[in-house]
Amino acid sequence: MPTMRGDAMRGLAVFISDIRNCKSREAELRRINKELTNIRQRFRADKTLDGYQKKKYVCKLLFIFLLGHDIDFGYMEAVNLLSSNKYTEKQIGYLFISVIMNSSTEMKQLIIQNIRNDLQSRNPIFINLALQCVANIGDREMAVAFTNDIPRLLISGDTIDAVKQSAALCLLRLHRTSPDSLQLNTEWTARIIHLLNDQHLGVATAAVSLIDALVKRNPDEYKGCVNLAVSRLSRIVTSSYTDFQDYTYYFVPAPWLCVKLLRLLQNYPPPDDPSIRSRLNECLDTILNKAQEPLKSKKVQHSNARNAVLFEAINLIIHMDCESSLLVRACNQLGQFLQNRETNLRYLALESMCLLAASEFSHEAVKKHQDTVINALKSERDVSVRQRAVDLLYAMCDRSNAQDLVQEMLTYLETADYTIREEMVLKIAILSEKYAVDYKWYLDVMLKLIRIAGDFVSEEVWYRVIQVVVNRTDVQSYAAKIAFEALQAPACHENMVKVAGYILGEYGNLIALDPRSTPIIQFDLLHSKYHLCSPTTRCLILSTYMKFVNLFPEIKHHIQDILRHDSNHRSSDVEIQQRATEYLKLSEVCNPTVLATILEIMPPYPEKQSPLLVRLKQKKPLTEPEGVTESQSPPPPTTGHNGDGPKLTETALHLNQQHQQQQNGLLLSLDTPESNGYYEESTSKPSSSTLQSAKKFLFKNSDILFENDLIQIGIKGETIKSTIHIELYYGNKTTLQLTNFSTNIFALGELESELRINMEPVKSTIDPRAQSKQTGTIDCLADFRDLPMMNISFLYNNMLQKIDCPFPIYINKFIEKAEMDSNNFFLRWRNLEKPSQECQKIFPAKFPMIHEDCRQKLDDFGWSCLMGIDVNAENFCGAGIIHTTSQAIGCLYRLEPNKQANMYRLTIRASKDGVANRLVELLDDQF
Amino acid sequence: MIKAILVFNNSAKPRLIKFFEHYPEEIQQQIVRETYQLVSKRSENVCNFLEGGSIIGGNDYRLIYRHYATLYFIFCVDSSESELGILDLIQVFVETLDKCFENVCELDLIFHIDKVHYILQEICLGGMVLETNLNEIVSRFDEQSKLEKQEAGISAAPTKAMTALKEMNLPQKLKDMKLSDLNLNLRF
Repeated sequence: MPTMRGDAMRGLAVFISDIRNCKSREAELRRINKELTNIRQRFRADKTLDGYQKKKYVCKLLFIFLLGHDIDFGYMEAVNLLSSNKYTEKQIGYLFISVIMNSSTEMKQLIIQNIRNDLQSRNPIFINLALQCVANIGDREMAVAFTNDIPRLLISGDTIDAVKQSAALCLLRLHRTSPDSLQLNTEWTARIIHLLNDQHLGVATAAVSLIDALVKRNPDEYKGCVNLAVSRLSRIVTSSYTDFQDYTYYFVPAPWLCVKLLRLLQNYPPPDDPSIRSRLNECLDTILNKAQEPLKSKKVQHSNARNAVLFEAINLIIHMDCESSLLVRACNQLGQFLQNRETNLRYLALESMCLLAASEFSHEAVKKHQDTVINALKSERDVSVRQRAVDLLYAMCDRSNAQDLVQEMLTYLETADYTIREEMVLKIAILSEKYAVDYKWYLDVMLKLIRIAGDFVSEEVWYRVIQVVVNRTDVQSYAAKIAFEALQAPACHENMVKVAGYILGEYGNLIALDPRSTPIIQFDLLHSKYHLCSPTTRCLILSTYMKFVNLFPEIKHHIQDILRHDSNHRSSDVEIQQRATEYLKLSEVCNPTVLATILEIMPPYPEKQSPLLVRLKQKKPLTEPEGVTESQSPPPPTTGHNGDGPKLTETALHLNQQHQQQQNGLLLSLDTPESNGYYEESTSKPSSSTLQSAKKFLFKNSDILFENDLIQIGIKGETIKSTIHIELYYGNKTTLQLTNFSTNIFALGELESELRINMEPVKSTIDPRAQSKQTGTIDCLADFRDLPMMNISFLYNNMLQKIDCPFPIYINKFIEKAEMDSNNFFLRWRNLEKPSQECQKIFPAKFPMIHEDCRQKLDDFGWSCLMGIDVNAENFCGAGIIHTTSQAIGCLYRLEPNKQANMYRLTIRASKDGVANRLVELLDDQF
Repeated sequence: MIKAILVFNNSAKPRLIKFFEHYPEEIQQQIVRETYQLVSKRSENVCNFLEGGSIIGGNDYRLIYRHYATLYFIFCVDSSESELGILDLIQVFVETLDKCFENVCELDLIFHIDKVHYILQEICLGGMVLETNLNEIVSRFDEQSKLEKQEAGISAAPTKAMTALKEMNLPQKLKDMKLSDLNLNLRF
């Protein structure tokens, strides 16, 4: 279409050229602002803009948006374009709406109405435009509005193919965004399934995507699709590429449809009916055979398409996991790919092999490729591929090859990319524990791990090392020995100091007879690292010293000196100071027997799911190696210590640890079984203090709404007439990611008709120590009394947390100040004389009666504080207007302090009945 | 599903941004920047898939991209899509552009952003693959252009005449072309 370049819009072209010729960012910005002003004026002033001009301006806005500038006008013009009868105008209107408009705009209803008109139009091109728009915006309101229209288009006999195709995907989109508001009639099921047989391959492809989603929701209802899918698949794979003409892509018949069908079948177990099953096996066989045929074209597209189908077939074979011959063939095929020239294929082969390694039929077959995979790890140029190689090594590891694989991974770790080191450390730690025959080997590996990648050793990893040592009496002396040796290295990672410190504190006595590691040598060595460490580590080392007091009474005085030293006893760090003081006291007052009981070695940790697996799962929700899937449920409650030790002193020590637990999370929570499950399913109820703090918001526009150990929620509000724009900030105070984060702010009862709450969705995860922001608006539809509620839920360390609290939106947020002179004020005051319009209350002062404070509070409340109106200068008068979407409510007040009696009298008059009472209720305990 | 489609050039200028999930404007730009950081430092001949950045979904998402001469085409997808399938889809998209614009180059994307969006809409709807058949896509696009021209024929004749007059300033237009705007060099 050579003419296309000619009919472009000239103004647009000039504008774009201008921008491209801009020499600097500032010049570009100036040009854009100039254009924005121009367009804004045109939209506002010129009501007679024709379609062409509107189109031109909308295109310019699109371009500006693309450059990264927010567009906050032009919506109404775009919506007007929708109702045009001209295709070009309609088209540009839809384009604007689906690219720029966000999902919470007030014109939603208008847009929906326009879309509905177009959906009912006879012109398929209009229908398609409307469908595209619905799919692009695809929110709950749309799902509700079109729950009938779109399915009808899909199954109706007289819809043309192109529309059917769009309708199918549109439905899928709505299904994804709001599955519960989309109600599909069960009578339609059979007809939807039969779309798989549609003559038009495009319709069939779109339908498979839809059915795939519906199957996930209701597998039984859509069971019928298996037969149809298998027969359709078989028709495609057995045909020649010439049969499909247009849907043949580089000599491969309908690759996308094949891939989708193979995916669909992965939702079900292998078919029961033997004839269907053998037909499916034939298909898979054919696909595997075709892979061996010579390529029909040298172009990469041909092999890509062919392999896309092949990989999906292999995934299906792995999913069915029953035909061992197919599995082995699949594995061999992947093995070939591992050596392929194409990086993409190597990547995918490694990924699929991970799945194969989990099947008992093919696990051995995968192991044959061990050398190739290790080689990939060493020689692959692309980090993405190396990452997959690590995954595969992890998946193929078992008792027989663990030692080799762990060794290889350790070697690689030294040169590995920083991005994957932490994950590798976790994997090495898990494998070496899981397949350890000899725990000495395990400890060697772990200490080496800390030595070469100390920075990437997360807390869970070294906690786990200690758990293992504590639970296995046979390795404790070995552990003490190598920990001691590791400490002797001149540069020693802090994590190593932690591990060694802990182990020596528990088991240092086991190596004390060796003249190379006498108590004093152990102590000096450890203390030589002390000043290089962070406060957390120092705390841990102080505990070790305390344990030394018990283990080696001969060096008690050395330790007491250290504890007494100013840098500890008067440390600026509270935790260190407290420990130093308490330990010193403990060492002075207790006799050796009591001390021995208090500082007894730690009892074994209860066996539960390794925290490392939890951690790995958080990092990678998708890759779960065999045998670790079992414990999704929260860990079983742990039993307490044996009740021998004197309780009182024990808790004294635990108190300290609990302190640290808040800093450290995991390991130390194992130390204190009473506190285990402390955070589990904890619902934080609104206490009176949170309610009180909610009331603080009466006088402020930003505040901390809620805070506990995990999270801090801040709020900021800005009111424009009857709408308040809210910004909520969720700060993660922990060192773990918060996941499945969701919030809901809602109005109950009659409040539902008084407030319209419109919050943007919030990001579902919050990174450690990071903040997430949520914005939204609340419209005041009528005056109201109750507060909306806010529910927050999230997973912290796989435990569900819920927070419910009132959301502090009071009616005064919608007050606008009104200034007036004395005559005016009293005129209005007298006009509001009906008893229902007035409310008066006398109440005692809660705070010191300071004139300036009162004035400030009244000002912050939102209404004006007028000077020189009341004859008594001590009294306060003022006025404000409450904006709701339907009306403006005028309100006047008078506050009269009586300092002798320490009382106030507050009188409020408002133009709407009942409002005065509400305002008095809000204020009567605030002065 | 496809979460986002990004096209930017070698110097990080976005040429097409299409999100199928709502993100505020500044986050969208952040995603573009982050994606550029991830993609641009990769050498040729490495694989075309990589794990998504931190903003857009993390580990469950993949970036699948192709680099044609001056432009990067990036599809950000979740695990329900076949990687090679999407790679082929990018190819289809570019081939379609090439057919509709006749030897497409970066300038076409700049000056006809609306058309690019329309073509994309025929391929991908609300984040799902709509049509993969090149001829079908082109014919649908042609159909729309025809409609457009019909309407333009009736109402926009006067404006068109004006434009034609103004178009006489052609040398300037040629000057606007930059070296980097050469053809995408499709390797079929």
